[in-house]
Amino acid sequence: MKLRKLAVLSLTMAAALVFSGCSKVESGTAGSNAAGGSSLEETKASSAQGKDNVTISFMASQDWIQDAEIELSKKFTEETGIKVDYQIIPSDQYVNLLMTKLNTGECTDIFGAQSGKFDIKAQINVEKNAMDLSGTSWGGQVEPLVADELSVDHKLYGQPIQDVSSVWAIAYNKQIFQKLNLEIPKDYQSFTKVCDAIAAAGITPVYECVSDGWHHTLWLPEAGVQAESKEPGIVEKWNENKATFEGDTTLTTILNQINEMVSKGYWGEDYMSNTYADSAKNIASGTFAMTIANQGFGVEVNKINAEIAVDDIGYFVIPLADNQTLNVNPAGPARFVFSGTKHKAEAEQYLEFLAKEENLTYLTENVGKFNKLPFKNAKSRYTETVQEFYDRYPNKGTVVQTAVKYVNPQWSEMGANLSAMIVGEMKPAEVLKSIDEVRAQQAKAAGDPAWK
Amino acid sequence: MNKNKIYPMWFAVLALLIYSVLFVLPGLIGIGYSFTDWSSYSNQLHFVGLENFKTVFSADENYLKIIKNTLVFTLGTTIIKNILGLALAVLLTKSIRLLNFHRGVMFLPSVLSTLILGMIFTSILNPSSGLLNTFLREIGLGGLAKPWLTSPHYAFKSVMAVDIWRGTGYIMTILIAGILSISQDYYEACSIDGASSWQKFRFITLPLLLPTLATTTVLNVIYGLKVFDMIYALTNGGPGKATTEVLYTAVFKKFGTGQYAIGTALSSVMFVFMVVIGFFMIRMMTKDEVQE
Repeated sequence: MKLRKLAVLSLTMAAALVFSGCSKVESGTAGSNAAGGSSLEETKASSAQGKDNVTISFMASQDWIQDAEIELSKKFTEETGIKVDYQIIPSDQYVNLLMTKLNTGECTDIFGAQSGKFDIKAQINVEKNAMDLSGTSWGGQVEPLVADELSVDHKLYGQPIQDVSSVWAIAYNKQIFQKLNLEIPKDYQSFTKVCDAIAAAGITPVYECVSDGWHHTLWLPEAGVQAESKEPGIVEKWNENKATFEGDTTLTTILNQINEMVSKGYWGEDYMSNTYADSAKNIASGTFAMTIANQGFGVEVNKINAEIAVDDIGYFVIPLADNQTLNVNPAGPARFVFSGTKHKAEAEQYLEFLAKEENLTYLTENVGKFNKLPFKNAKSRYTETVQEFYDRYPNKGTVVQTAVKYVNPQWSEMGANLSAMIVGEMKPAEVLKSIDEVRAQQAKAAGDPAWK
Repeated sequence: MNKNKIYPMWFAVLALLIYSVLFVLPGLIGIGYSFTDWSSYSNQLHFVGLENFKTVFSADENYLKIIKNTLVFTLGTTIIKNILGLALAVLLTKSIRLLNFHRGVMFLPSVLSTLILGMIFTSILNPSSGLLNTFLREIGLGGLAKPWLTSPHYAFKSVMAVDIWRGTGYIMTILIAGILSISQDYYEACSIDGASSWQKFRFITLPLLLPTLATTTVLNVIYGLKVFDMIYALTNGGPGKATTEVLYTAVFKKFGTGQYAIGTALSSVMFVFMVVIGFFMIRMMTKDEVQE
């Protein structure tokens, strides 16, 4: 009898819990509906009155909206009366949520998304979901390579949010170079001479970390910009399925030279177990002279060893296959105006406000990781070393993983293939063939007409 | 039999319903998807017949090696864990000092999270700064210091060794319970007949322990076929293309690259393996078992 009472009590409690849970969700939904409803009514009322009290909503992944931008929005509200409601979503959920909102036609007035001319067309379908921003006053100020990643059929759809200027280059310890009287290599031949001289001094030339699975992959698609420099139009041919990676002389040379670096001992002995997290520590200790890094690396090394100044870490492009083209990656987060917005004019006004020179300067000065926003009228605050590095290479080319379709999604697979090549399980031609095969699989899955 | 004492069938309805909705249905849907071209690149789904299975079993692809790796891992770890577990169980059912302490020490690795163990062993087996190689160099056996997880020659064996170390204590515990349930009368009778320790083990312990060994084997085989976290933490299928790749790490990677259909096809292959192997193994191992 007691047991039965206990069972009834537990069941009742369980049912109560379930219902309270449901009712909470319902009340939450009701609340948000009410809020949405009221804001809609407010908006309707306000649009009759003017722009006072108009609120535009802006949804973005975490880290995309900086405190400095929120501060600027207060100034924007003071100037125009338009408020900005930021909806910041955890990054692991962002794409799913954005796609759901776009597919149901209920997106925020402005939404953030990663740029990339293929992705914004195939994944976000900007031609349907976003406003054409080509005619805006700031549209022409966006740096051409960055604008290209935000455009479909020469129409600009987005505004870049972040600094995308940092590139993966070979960071080197200037103190070691000066001590050994070495100069920045200008081709692979001179790079091997530099490596030989460093190795002869008892220092391991290059810190490489294969175990992370992604860092050693950088050598191929980053130095791969040389393929387009050597054979203009090859990127287009790859994208139209008129050429393959297999058999490409530049890419094959890069892979052969990676093998050569390993066999000559330029990567030391423990490259298979090294980790990226230890790269600054190892360069700071002086046991390694170079590694692939971006332009914040000097600061990291300086934090570990104050005797190496930030400007003691210099940079040069990856010289495999004699590359001397600066390997830029112009893709990054961007703001798009939702095509179904009722506040098109206000949303565009906000983007115009952000692109003003003084506001770009404010963002650059107040966001630590911004050195140069990708607008022609934005000021830069590069250190002398970094500025000199960028100026040294007048030719710029977009990295293979952004310029060529279906390369970036197979990054980890490429990494596994490259490590198989390094341990002697695969040949360079097989690595390139494998990339072609995975590209073909993905293209077919995406229904790409070039692969039919 | 008093039928009133048997619980009515409807007691199981809710459990069956939940089980069907949460386990059986997704499983069947998964098998269904393996006959389509489901991927993250297209919203459309087309029936492609056995296309994905042809890819899985194609000699040009790496999947056969992955299936072989999974089977070798399962077979190797199951046999060694059972042998070591049995040896330890026999030892730790004798009257020795600090018996429970020894049992606890042996069981401890099974309690720890596999991912954490994987990370600890990645550090222990680091070729330059790892505990194992440093120790070997310190005692003058530097020649035995190898790149345990980063060389294709040693990686698979190292991963298996770590998994055996982790799982042996668990098997030992189950077998200890099995040994303790064997009546002491048999051993006394044997002793009176003048049987040696080996004979007691061979003719009393082993036959009466077969049902328990069947259980541990089934548990090990299912674990081996489904292994993911240990490999993921130690090598993530590397070094190289697929040195230590097993079915679940391959499925994980296929889903990561948006090739859902191939991923589900691999899962379906694994499901069939598990059903077939499990069925025959239980049949075979329970055929000659001795009932007290």
